[in-house]
Amino acid sequence: MSAHAYRPRPAQRAASAGVVLGALVLLALLLLPILALLRRGGLAGLAQLGADPELRASLLLTAGTATVATLLTVLLGTPLAWLLARRRLPAGALVSAVVDLPLLVPHPVAGMALLLAFGRATPAGAALATLGLAIVGSATGIVLAMLFVAAPLYVGAAREAIARVDERYESVARTLGDSALRAAWRVTRPLSARGLLAAAVAMWARAASEFGAIVILTYNPKVASVLSYDRFTGAGLDAALPVAAVLVLLALVPLLVLRSLRASVAVGEPAR
Amino acid sequence: MIDVARLGARAGDFALADVSFTLPPGAWGIVLGAACAGKTTLLETIAGVRAATTGRVSLRGADVTTLPPERRGVGIVYQHAFLFPHLSVEENVAYGATDRTWAADVAARLGAAVLNGRRVGALSGGERQVVALARALAPRPDILLLDEPLAAVDPRGRTRLRRELRALQRELSLTVLHVTHDFGEAGTLGDLALLLDAGRLVQAAPPETLFRRPVSAAAAEFLGAENVFAGRVTPLEPGAGDAPGTMLFRAGSLALVGVGDAGDSRDVAHAVIRGEDVVLAREHGGHTSARNTLDGSVSEVVTSGALARVTVDVGDLSLVATITAASVSELDLLPGARVVATIKATAVHLCW
Repeated sequence: MSAHAYRPRPAQRAASAGVVLGALVLLALLLLPILALLRRGGLAGLAQLGADPELRASLLLTAGTATVATLLTVLLGTPLAWLLARRRLPAGALVSAVVDLPLLVPHPVAGMALLLAFGRATPAGAALATLGLAIVGSATGIVLAMLFVAAPLYVGAAREAIARVDERYESVARTLGDSALRAAWRVTRPLSARGLLAAAVAMWARAASEFGAIVILTYNPKVASVLSYDRFTGAGLDAALPVAAVLVLLALVPLLVLRSLRASVAVGEPAR
Repeated sequence: MIDVARLGARAGDFALADVSFTLPPGAWGIVLGAACAGKTTLLETIAGVRAATTGRVSLRGADVTTLPPERRGVGIVYQHAFLFPHLSVEENVAYGATDRTWAADVAARLGAAVLNGRRVGALSGGERQVVALARALAPRPDILLLDEPLAAVDPRGRTRLRRELRALQRELSLTVLHVTHDFGEAGTLGDLALLLDAGRLVQAAPPETLFRRPVSAAAAEFLGAENVFAGRVTPLEPGAGDAPGTMLFRAGSLALVGVGDAGDSRDVAHAVIRGEDVVLAREHGGHTSARNTLDGSVSEVVTSGALARVTVDVGDLSLVATITAASVSELDLLPGARVVATIKATAVHLCW
């Protein structure tokens, strides 16, 4: 073995420096606006939480509607994710495209599409209205908008979490007497639980931060993102900053939950 | 009984095609084949966890091709056990059991009960397989599909487990289909051996026949035949009626008499001779019934325990004899020693 220490050539050193520099520029672009926001409005926002009932109400509304949208998606989206992960569906590619489409549609456009499909003048909207679930200017509309834009995140991540569980666990369960659904419930659900929970948290965070689709359907009652926009347009940047800073601080909660869940998913993955 | 007719199935890019065989009730079938031969796909298709694309699967005389796995009454044990990691050892064993007493009994007999209380993640490969076997037997299936279930068990445990499995099979009249790479296991356990290659059934026969009379040179080589020669076959002595005659096989300077029919004459044929069918002596003896006597010299002796593998150069070919280590020392067989190899015509298997 050579006794010489490894010395990268100048071209390699330049390439390494370029990689590091590029990463630093991107990180700065991501971090600087958040830091600036927190510096200007962070403490004021937290102080304002106690004294601003409108801010508290909007945060509660945001958390409540995001939770309902997430629960609905978990209920309806988990079976779909299982089907996409486990079955060769006749139009599987088409179903996947339909699920992914809302991720690619600009969010105000999504709001308009929802208005066209479920507005008061539409049959679906009229049917919902008779059930007391008008979507314009109501929490129902907020839930619908959140579900539309964020459910694809849940279904995609849940599908991956289920696909990571070897199908042969279900095969064994079926030879032991379980139906396909019962095997999925008794075996795949617990084995993919952390991944499903991570998917739900990611969806909740995305739903809670939604603005574009909600503002088209429901300006009032105001979710937190709409409130910060309302204060920015009505009273200027300084008035909007505390609300915006609280939103950023609250976003850290699901982020931390997600990080810890992902770490434990990687460690607790069953042998394949 | 497992009755499979023209069965086909797909697993990704791999296709199992046109597999037909019948395993009588209470019989132990062995499935042999190289990696990617379709062994696991065959078991999964019989269990119903993989859909058949063509053909038919009948169990106990009833067509189950379209029945879901939970209605087939078949237990399966995969090579990697696939114990449910979120359940304890006892919960794994009891997963499909209807009779808890029986489940506990079978766990005790197979040696899984001593693992109760252990986390599944902390079990060794062999222990996992023992628990997987108990779990598969706990619902009292009458058909058991085993995919190398003893591969990770230590040799002593394997012998004990094999004996216990055999006893359970007889007690419960289990029909077993067992994938293994262990030819010894195939010989001791199997009533019927199936040889698969590239998704097709190459040969189905009792293990003894499969090993002694493989259908092709490739099958012979896979099954560990020490001597497979390519050459030409011509009739030597005619048979009488259905009784076979003798054939002359030539490969270079080697000429061997084998048993066969005149209709088997081929310009391209193979002679397969198991090493244990070659008898070595230091000099020509008196008259013998063996039709093949070959002079040669020892080129290599490899001893493994009580047995030795002696390679003898015979003309331009090498012949391998499997004899005891004691014979090697009695005959003083060292490289370069002149020997006489004797082979009965019935031990020369001709195939194409």
